[in-house]
Amino acid sequence: MNGVSPPRPRSQRLLRNLDPLLIAATGALIVFGLVMVYSTTRTGPHPLALFRTQFLHLMAGVLVGVAILAIDYRSLASGARILYALNLVLLASVLVLGRSSLGAQRWIPLGPFGQFQPSEFAKLAIVITLAKHLSDRPGPYRSVWDLAPFLAHIALPMFLIFRQPDLGTALVYGAVFLGVLYAGGARRRDLAGLAACAVLISPLAWHMLREYQRRRLLVFLDPSLDPLGSGYGIIQSKIAVGSGMLWGKGLLVGTQNVLQFVPEHHTDFIFSVVGEELGFVGSIVLLALFLLWLTRGIRIALLARDRFGALVAVGLVSMVAFHVFVNVGMTVGLMPITGIPLPFVSYGGSALMTMLWATALLLNIGMRHQKILF
Amino acid sequence: MDREVFERRIAALLTVIAGLFGILALRLWQVQIVQGDYFLRLSEENRLRVTSIAAPRGLIVDRRGRPLVVDRPAFTVSLMPVEFRRPHDEVPIVARLLGLDPAEVEQRLAAGRERPFAPVRLRRDVPKEVIAAIEESRMDLPGVVIEVEPIRSYPYKELAAHLLGYLGEINDRELRQFRSLGYEPGELVGKEGVERTYDRYLRGRNGEIQAEVDALGRPLRTLDRIPAVPGDTVVLGLDLDVQQAAEAALGDRLGAVVAMDPRTGAIVAFASHPAFDPNLFSAGIAAASWNRLLHDPRQRLLDRVLQSGYPTGSVFKIVTASAALDLGIVNPDSRFYCPGFYNLGGRIFHDHEAHGNLNFLDAIAQSCNVVFWTVSRPVGPVHLAEYARSYGLGQPTGIDLPDESAGVVPDPEWKQGTYHQPWYAGDTLNTAVGQGYVLATPLQVARMIAAVANGGALPTPHAVTEVRAPDGTVRFRVEPSPGARVQVTAQTMAVLRAGLAAVVTRGTAASIQIQGLAVAGKTGTAESTHGKPYAWFAGYAPADAPTLAVVAVVENAGYGAEFAAPIVQRVLEAAFGLPVAESHP
Repeated sequence: MNGVSPPRPRSQRLLRNLDPLLIAATGALIVFGLVMVYSTTRTGPHPLALFRTQFLHLMAGVLVGVAILAIDYRSLASGARILYALNLVLLASVLVLGRSSLGAQRWIPLGPFGQFQPSEFAKLAIVITLAKHLSDRPGPYRSVWDLAPFLAHIALPMFLIFRQPDLGTALVYGAVFLGVLYAGGARRRDLAGLAACAVLISPLAWHMLREYQRRRLLVFLDPSLDPLGSGYGIIQSKIAVGSGMLWGKGLLVGTQNVLQFVPEHHTDFIFSVVGEELGFVGSIVLLALFLLWLTRGIRIALLARDRFGALVAVGLVSMVAFHVFVNVGMTVGLMPITGIPLPFVSYGGSALMTMLWATALLLNIGMRHQKILF
Repeated sequence: MDREVFERRIAALLTVIAGLFGILALRLWQVQIVQGDYFLRLSEENRLRVTSIAAPRGLIVDRRGRPLVVDRPAFTVSLMPVEFRRPHDEVPIVARLLGLDPAEVEQRLAAGRERPFAPVRLRRDVPKEVIAAIEESRMDLPGVVIEVEPIRSYPYKELAAHLLGYLGEINDRELRQFRSLGYEPGELVGKEGVERTYDRYLRGRNGEIQAEVDALGRPLRTLDRIPAVPGDTVVLGLDLDVQQAAEAALGDRLGAVVAMDPRTGAIVAFASHPAFDPNLFSAGIAAASWNRLLHDPRQRLLDRVLQSGYPTGSVFKIVTASAALDLGIVNPDSRFYCPGFYNLGGRIFHDHEAHGNLNFLDAIAQSCNVVFWTVSRPVGPVHLAEYARSYGLGQPTGIDLPDESAGVVPDPEWKQGTYHQPWYAGDTLNTAVGQGYVLATPLQVARMIAAVANGGALPTPHAVTEVRAPDGTVRFRVEPSPGARVQVTAQTMAVLRAGLAAVVTRGTAASIQIQGLAVAGKTGTAESTHGKPYAWFAGYAPADAPTLAVVAVVENAGYGAEFAAPIVQRVLEAAFGLPVAESHP
């Protein structure tokens, strides 16, 4: 800031700095998501039940998102310590109170409000607290030992998530870590070394996985190992996506979905329905929307007034990019099944809200950037 | 950090992201455009049919390994909803072949539409001739699936039916409750008895076949096969010979017989008459048969061993005697005079006969009501109830069978709570001889007499003694921890046992003496509000070191000594391998 007080009220000035393209991309993704959720959940006795729930989550998420805009993101930095502790408590409580599904404990029951999945919100907490940590220790990072504090920073929550066990979310942390540290100035060879270490200790992690997760990973390497069980999902998802061809079978006319060939088709596998019903064109449009969102995020990282804001933006971008790649990759047999939702599109309140708030954070950073354009 | 480095790295990050998206786009191109035709055909002809291979259910065998419940192979006819192209033409054919109502077939088919690739079972245990007819009409019936599925079979029909239980299709409540254990809709599960309690061991694990089928539903090739794991074998404490003797001795009279090893609580015989044929349920019971069973005036489904609370009559004197002896109100030599009636403040209580001069031990042997009425006054209702509970009455025994009744041990507080009436002295007299409000199941009485046989240790009854893997190795033994000890002194217990021995040597049950086997026990004749009294006998043998406790109750029969004691006698003879006495007239 140059100290000259602008003539307009501050809030109006800030609003003018909102990134319209990011908002447009987010809006389009949300609409896309709602349509797909309707398409995948309309069979059964209550065709609108899940759609309505998703819509309510959307409304709640948008309201809180607007509230996030009102608060200067820099105040989050001062609350990082509390946020970090709170996050650990929540993740630990899942292991104690958690409700299990598919062999993993991920949800905390909330009585009449249903349940929520702390590991989703934890993704935001990790991005914010890690960015704050890096802006407190700006480097330069001359050896791998200079990265140790940051490793310790994510190790504890990552361990708790792994215990649930939620392999996918734990990997999201890894991606955020790499993205933020790379942008934050860590040396390439140090990061490469850490990644190599992660690969080396992975046999250890193997033991912490549940039977079904190990099977999923093995089956990824060879789907015919278990064509009925875990391999079935991969095969059927590929059939669904492939059968969409160029233009797709048309909205609401996919068969793989309706006939329940594709497992978890409104949550993790929703993209296979996109592929089937909207074809290559629809899939590419969806990917383009994500790419637009990501590039706007990167632009905000470049514009940010401080290191904290820039790194938060990079963390959010890494997070979403990783989600999209792993999720879409999974439905076309490029990546193993790890239970990562497709941002904005998959059914699920916690995940949707997390993504909405991530967008709100980006907008927040963007509208409080240094150069105010009149 | 250097701004320039940061910008360079952000650019690199953007490149990586663009690269990843490029990979996704290429892959989508490959799957949707290059291989699209192939996948489209696969999706249209998606005929990966998954059928489950039903696991053979585990055997239920008696204590000597003789099978009481087995599986036999049978054909099940199911429909694949998704492969049913022309329901209007096909449903009537299938219904006619299977002898079902077309409306019912339609209904099942509609229910199956939610999971169109899961077969909907139409009928189990379909005769071979019908299977042959279906095979002939194959071309017209593409969605019909014939599977070999084991059917539960009870070769001894009604024998121990209440203990063994039966199967039925899993209901919604059970499905919700057990989904995590791998139960699926349409599956047969144990509904009663051992079949229900030990269902998770008996059921085994279903296997699966994934096959590619042609447009007519004929399997082209098997893609994968997960073999079924047979269920475990459940070993009962039941002895087939003793059980058959018990059921023969009870005959066609309404009642129950239960025999238990007092040392372990293992159930050796368990008869409830009238019973039902569990085979009726194995293929899914027809509504008409079910209604007949449900509304049978003789209540065939009722398990009289553990669900019927009966007034116990004089069998309850075991409790009254324990209390009177233990509280020091009487000793075995206390003298009494029985004029044949008892005067309670002008109200006359009649005994069945005038016993004259007698001591307390004689009073037990002769089952003299006057003596027990006399001692019950100083004992009082609260102590009576306390001792009754100490013998396990008024509470479930904890047997490994479902839906056990708790019976009733009345005391003033209970009466106030239940009837909003005060306790009268007459209630105490009635309770002392097992009349009035006292209700106990034959199983509870068996446990009580077993405790006396043990010298005070209250066993926990159990039908199953062992669960074995299909290969015969023992998975675990069922050895429930015994209940609390009955709170009486060793001295009291000794007197009681002498009294029960005297019942058979010179008392009310002198008619059932068995050559070479010392029996002890107590008769009971419980007044019934409708018809003749309930006849009871609860006994054990050998009297000095008991290995078997037996209880028989016959509804509306008459004296316990006359109608129940001979049943116990014949069970004991069968159990101890003695020549069976002439059948009772």
